[in-house]
Amino acid sequence: MAKSNSGSVDRRGFLKGATAGALAAASPATLHAQDHQDVPSDPALRVKALESVLVEKGLVDSAALDVLVDTFENRVGPRNGAQVVARAWVDPAYKQRLLDDGTAAMAEFGFSGWQGEKLTVVENTPTVHNVIVCTLCSCYPWPLLGLAPTWYKSDAYRARTVVDPRGVLRELGLQVSDEIEVRVWDSNAASRYLVLPERPEGTDSLSEEQLAALVSRDAMIGVAKVESTVDGDAP
Amino acid sequence: MNGIHDMGGMQGMGEIGYEENAPMFHADWEIRVQALHAASGSFRGGPLRPTVEQIPAAEYLRMSYYERWLTALIERLVQAGVVTREEIEQSRAARALEQTIAPVTPENAADWLLRTPQTERQTQVAARFAIDDRVRGRNIHPAGHTRMPRYTRLRTGNVERDRGVFALPDSEGDEPRLQHVYLVRFAARELWGETAHARDSVRIDMWEDYLEPA
Repeated sequence: MAKSNSGSVDRRGFLKGATAGALAAASPATLHAQDHQDVPSDPALRVKALESVLVEKGLVDSAALDVLVDTFENRVGPRNGAQVVARAWVDPAYKQRLLDDGTAAMAEFGFSGWQGEKLTVVENTPTVHNVIVCTLCSCYPWPLLGLAPTWYKSDAYRARTVVDPRGVLRELGLQVSDEIEVRVWDSNAASRYLVLPERPEGTDSLSEEQLAALVSRDAMIGVAKVESTVDGDAP
Repeated sequence: MNGIHDMGGMQGMGEIGYEENAPMFHADWEIRVQALHAASGSFRGGPLRPTVEQIPAAEYLRMSYYERWLTALIERLVQAGVVTREEIEQSRAARALEQTIAPVTPENAADWLLRTPQTERQTQVAARFAIDDRVRGRNIHPAGHTRMPRYTRLRTGNVERDRGVFALPDSEGDEPRLQHVYLVRFAARELWGETAHARDSVRIDMWEDYLEPA
């Protein structure tokens, strides 16, 4: 009860009982963590409750949410990015357009959407390895890679990738030689980034479609390389 | 703000939790949060990221990614006067809204998400810096939202590219301040000292207000 003084409404603003409709938001400096028992603590229940209230108020249509979920799951994702990469491998003119203006080049495939603005594609070469991170949050090229995996948004990946990229890559299974320059891209502002991985050796006979099938999401973030095929397997 | 979210360069954050071929989400409620975030643009009264950053540090670290966004979404909607915590607790609307806001419909939802936003402004604004200029991160500590990570403060780098003109995110809610954004290259050793690899570097887009000539 010690905190039940005149400042209590502001102090309790976050996570707990901010007064309904209080447009004057609590100043950030005074927000304090409190217990938050007045909304369901289980996030699944909280989401459901929030959705019900918003539907009742006519602000949200559940069927539209279903479409958004389906769009996130099926219309965007790393298969899009892989097609772009494979095209860049087989078509030098396309590759140049992709490096010059990623957003325009992905639009040639019909790929577009949120987090696709100012797409910057950075090319791995025998002497340069690129890796993408968003230290402040979770910026990520949705149209080409879909929603980011949990590890990309983990505090440890966000914190360490800028200061110890080689250590992070090693931990994720990618050893980068001392001779290679590592470029970290902190994707926090105007651009979203995609790594154009190196085309693996021994793939000359593969079609663009077969090449796309080799390209993993993690290679387009820059934490993995593209492998040709399992040793001994015919393509 | 010098918040916990500004964690670039920190150590001791635990495991990355890497999974090869990790799924995009682990529970159905997580993608529902993402969908609600997308569908609430017209009535939540602004972007959620500044609100995520105001989650107290201890809470922020305890929460999963989607819990942070859910917490911020609820906070934002309460602050905007759209819902009350009691309504969410009861899972029932207690009062109707005074104004009607057209919801995202099943017919336009996919287009809504697949439309590339135009964040770059076509306005002509003079550029203070040019390619190859030496620049230094200013010693500023904005109390609110900023896209300037603290590890760039007082560090010197090179302008590699002019990204064009964008609204300074620090001024969200106020009159937008339009200025050039520059891609700046910082040598790893400039940021992290002699133990960093001599060849390595960090590149980051920075608004003009974050930089001064070096």
